[in-house]
Amino acid sequence: MAFSIVVKLSLLSLLIAFPFVTNSYSAYQLGLYLLYGIVGQGIALCWGKGGFLPLGQALFFGIGAYISGLMLQNDVGWGLVIVTLSLSIVIPFLLAGVVGVLVFNRQIGSGPYFSLITLALALVGFQLANSQVWLTGGFNGLTGINGLPNIDSFGSLYFVIVGALVLTTIILSKIMGSPFGLLLEAVRENEERLQFLGNNTSWIKAAAFAISGGIAGLAGAFFAPHQGIVTPQVLGFILSAELVIWTAVGGRFGLLGPVIGVVLIGFLASGLRDAFVYWEVIVAFVFILVVLRLPGGIGAIGVHLSRKIGLNFHSYGEISERSRSVPEVDKIITRELKFEEVTITRGSVVILDKLSFKIEGLGIQCLIGPNGAGKTSALNALTGKLEVDSGEISWCGGSLNNVRPFQTLSLGIGRKFQVPSIFPNLTIRQNIDLSLWVNRLKRNQLLSMVPYTWKSDLLEKLEEVFPFISDKSLIAGSLSVGERQMLDFTMTVLSEPSLVLLDEPCAGLSKAETETMIKAIADLSKSSKSMFIIVEHDMQVVELLSDNVLVMHQGKLIAQGSLAEIRSNKDVQRVYAGGTK
Amino acid sequence: MTEKVLEVDNVSGGYGDLKVVKEISLDVYEGSANGVTGRNGVGKTTFLKLICGALPLLGGHVRLYGRIINRLPSHSLFQLGISYAPQESIVFDGLTVQENLTLHYSSSNLDRYTYVFKKFPRLKDRLQQKAGTLSGGEKKLLSFSRAVSEPTNLVILDEPTEGVQSDNIILMAQVINEEKVKGRSFLIVDQNITFLEAFSDRVHLFDHGEQTYHTDGPNFRNDIEKRILI
Amino acid sequence: MEAFATFLLNFVYVSAILALVALGLAMVFGLLGVMNMAHGEFVMLGAYSAYVVQTAQISFFWAIPLAIFVSAIFGFLIEWSVIRHLYNRAFDTLLATWGLAILIRKGVEVVFTRDYKSVNQVVPGTVELFGVNYPAYRLILISIIICIFVVLLLWYQRSKVGLRVRAMVQNPGLAAAIGIDIAILSRVTFVIGVSTAGLAGALLAPLVRVEPYIGLDYLLSSFFILVVGGLGSIEGLLIGSTIIGGTDAVISTIFDKTAGYMSVLIISILFLWLRPDGIFYRR
Repeated sequence: MAFSIVVKLSLLSLLIAFPFVTNSYSAYQLGLYLLYGIVGQGIALCWGKGGFLPLGQALFFGIGAYISGLMLQNDVGWGLVIVTLSLSIVIPFLLAGVVGVLVFNRQIGSGPYFSLITLALALVGFQLANSQVWLTGGFNGLTGINGLPNIDSFGSLYFVIVGALVLTTIILSKIMGSPFGLLLEAVRENEERLQFLGNNTSWIKAAAFAISGGIAGLAGAFFAPHQGIVTPQVLGFILSAELVIWTAVGGRFGLLGPVIGVVLIGFLASGLRDAFVYWEVIVAFVFILVVLRLPGGIGAIGVHLSRKIGLNFHSYGEISERSRSVPEVDKIITRELKFEEVTITRGSVVILDKLSFKIEGLGIQCLIGPNGAGKTSALNALTGKLEVDSGEISWCGGSLNNVRPFQTLSLGIGRKFQVPSIFPNLTIRQNIDLSLWVNRLKRNQLLSMVPYTWKSDLLEKLEEVFPFISDKSLIAGSLSVGERQMLDFTMTVLSEPSLVLLDEPCAGLSKAETETMIKAIADLSKSSKSMFIIVEHDMQVVELLSDNVLVMHQGKLIAQGSLAEIRSNKDVQRVYAGGTK
Repeated sequence: MTEKVLEVDNVSGGYGDLKVVKEISLDVYEGSANGVTGRNGVGKTTFLKLICGALPLLGGHVRLYGRIINRLPSHSLFQLGISYAPQESIVFDGLTVQENLTLHYSSSNLDRYTYVFKKFPRLKDRLQQKAGTLSGGEKKLLSFSRAVSEPTNLVILDEPTEGVQSDNIILMAQVINEEKVKGRSFLIVDQNITFLEAFSDRVHLFDHGEQTYHTDGPNFRNDIEKRILI
Repeated sequence: MEAFATFLLNFVYVSAILALVALGLAMVFGLLGVMNMAHGEFVMLGAYSAYVVQTAQISFFWAIPLAIFVSAIFGFLIEWSVIRHLYNRAFDTLLATWGLAILIRKGVEVVFTRDYKSVNQVVPGTVELFGVNYPAYRLILISIIICIFVVLLLWYQRSKVGLRVRAMVQNPGLAAAIGIDIAILSRVTFVIGVSTAGLAGALLAPLVRVEPYIGLDYLLSSFFILVVGGLGSIEGLLIGSTIIGGTDAVISTIFDKTAGYMSVLIISILFLWLRPDGIFYRR
């Protein structure tokens, strides 16, 4: 942490000294690159942290430039300039936010469609700027733009830009280090799991995109007085693509990387331009090499080197010890889960066939049945992952038919998948923080540091059972299958849901690990006020844990009762005979 | 004893850095069949994927006739004489049954399959049908028929009986026994012990990613069953 | 009536050209999952092949094999050096091929300069059809494009290689297990895909100004077509071309060029947003 501040301060002093040690033209050029770098920081927020690539970022940059250009065509004082600057930030911010919400709400995941939509929007912006001559000056652009009042565009404006860069860097690193930043990273790591931790991920992504739009608008607002002219190229396809390239080359995982990328390529290009006409060939080569060999960009080398010499670059996780108990969560009193004639078919395949059962109270319910019986599908239907065709699923009297995955936890339903699903590039501590925040993190705490210090009694208890989870700084991806299962289990129960769904919690565990897991589940079910449903194949586990067993076969419930009753049931024996006979 | 066809030596592996299969060794000899069984999720399918080059090993070696094959791409294993019928995504759904059986050969004739068609006439009736329209059991039959009819020495099958009707399971076992007589070797993962019993020379039991037991019979069923609670 | 016939012929002509240009991108994206941002550059290479043939003063006919040859060589080199490391990494293919596109553009600029080149009309004159005099070369183009589609469709549907490509796309793991070398097959598919782009460039050369930057427009319109038509089917590609071509033609005639282009953009955005798998997608 300290080291990274030293780096940042020395870079800042370099920037401030730059005009004095070189000439004013170089500083003028650098000013432009820094503006692009600010846009790159926004791209890094979305792409590096959030994992979704905005391909049309020049649109927001250009809107900012046009707004400020239009205003500065007149002689205005600082009052109006402030208004202009705010508009240049707020309008792109809102536009990006609206686009983000609309797109992400329809499509989960970070596929290419979002990127292509942003690209197409930039093209639309370019066309509008070109054709709406009355407003934008058309192809020739806005000309005769004045500088900011009392600020020389070729001189002191540079320092204003450096100031803006410092501001965006501080704001963005604050955002990245906050709970919101961790949620954003978690989207990149495992969006589905984050939804099952009760987060509406489309809002998280849209908010990040809005911030990146606002920042691009701010950079654009300075572009107009800096260049004195704004043409449609500023919101076109080429600049959008170049911004992404610079960010990728510089490094998309940090805030300095994008700036370094733009500045390096910018000066490389202007140096080469005189010596070698086809300098872009070299830039293209560098770019392809970075994509192939150095996915983290040049910035990643810096981080890697500093790690090698024993310096830590990580921005958070070093926050104080856990000191505050988590806020209380409202608990549901009754526990009753009902499936009534639930049918799901996909194509010609019947997945659930009028599945009906009712379970209530505390204790552990084991759901067993041969492969393809529909056990996991039943859990999917229950948590909004699979759409119900007919019938009714209800939990404590409320229907679950139209529930969406991220809503289940607020209804008190927590779920662990069969394959351990964690956030592999985050530390164990961060994985745990994400689950402690469920139902407890208030909206106004999204940017506060307080939630990082939370602890809970349950967490302390689990740290005794699974000692490895108290190793805070370990990256979760380095855990073994068994440990991942245990971490996933920990994350599922930390939000203290009233209904805990565990899909084969012991799959892939060694004998000893299975015993630990069984003990953990048994202890928890005794001390907590939760109902457990466990899907399991290992009869040993069922024997040790179950208070009640449900047997499914071909999408139907064929038996329900204690394990002894199930063992003597003729139907069950017939079904299982195919398995081991 | 007869020649060693496949030698699996301390093989470990899984998905990414996740170790699902831990240090498993077994040998398959010419003209013999090895069965592998165990509960769901104990690493049987992963084990076969490791042998067939569909996943990279994290440790150990796989040798075919003494030659290390675990660095070779999947398609060259076929050329070296291994045919493999995976557990999932077992046919090309968008292609016809005939195309499924012949796409990897230069000619589309079905002579190689005369024998299995006699056993499973249903397949022959459906040659022009898209494989995606077959039932799960029929897909398994198609996949089984393809794998056993290839000109390979070693046949690796993953859960071949899943969803297949019991009379066809008996026929599958017959086919395997007849092929064994011709000197071909088999490595078969299945949960149906009756099926494995019908042809296996040795049965291995997996649990928690490890080989916990193996037996050469003759009491396969008792040996195995008492180790798996219902 | 005449006006309508002209409009209809133009509509067929525009859609056919769009379909041809998008074909290569559809193959590479739809079958291999590679977002080839250098697609337009292959069209550009094809157009320059036609220009080279003209400069060498040999028959225009030679432009076709030359264009296919040049784009196949480039395609092979690119696949071998870059693309094969990036299968299943769609974002990275997008970035890397963007870099490649710059390389190709600049390379062409080094050899031919940035000046516009023009390729002479090879079949001047018009033919009377449905009562209108229609440029003969356009009619020839339409028929050639139909032939190309028929040949490729037959190859894809009937040939052993086409069969294996389909198998590989559906189930790469199983394809490898039955001895199909998917690395080579992917390379063949990529090379064929970019070669059709080169061929398109050669055929279009007499109709456009040839310069190093023409690729971008072709890339964008091809993307729009794929977005509307969806991936993975020839029907989708043809429907996509007619919707995009048709909208552009109709709106441009009623309003102006900009409005036509804008409407294409808006249709594409709506499709990306609401039906990202194209018009034929069914759940």
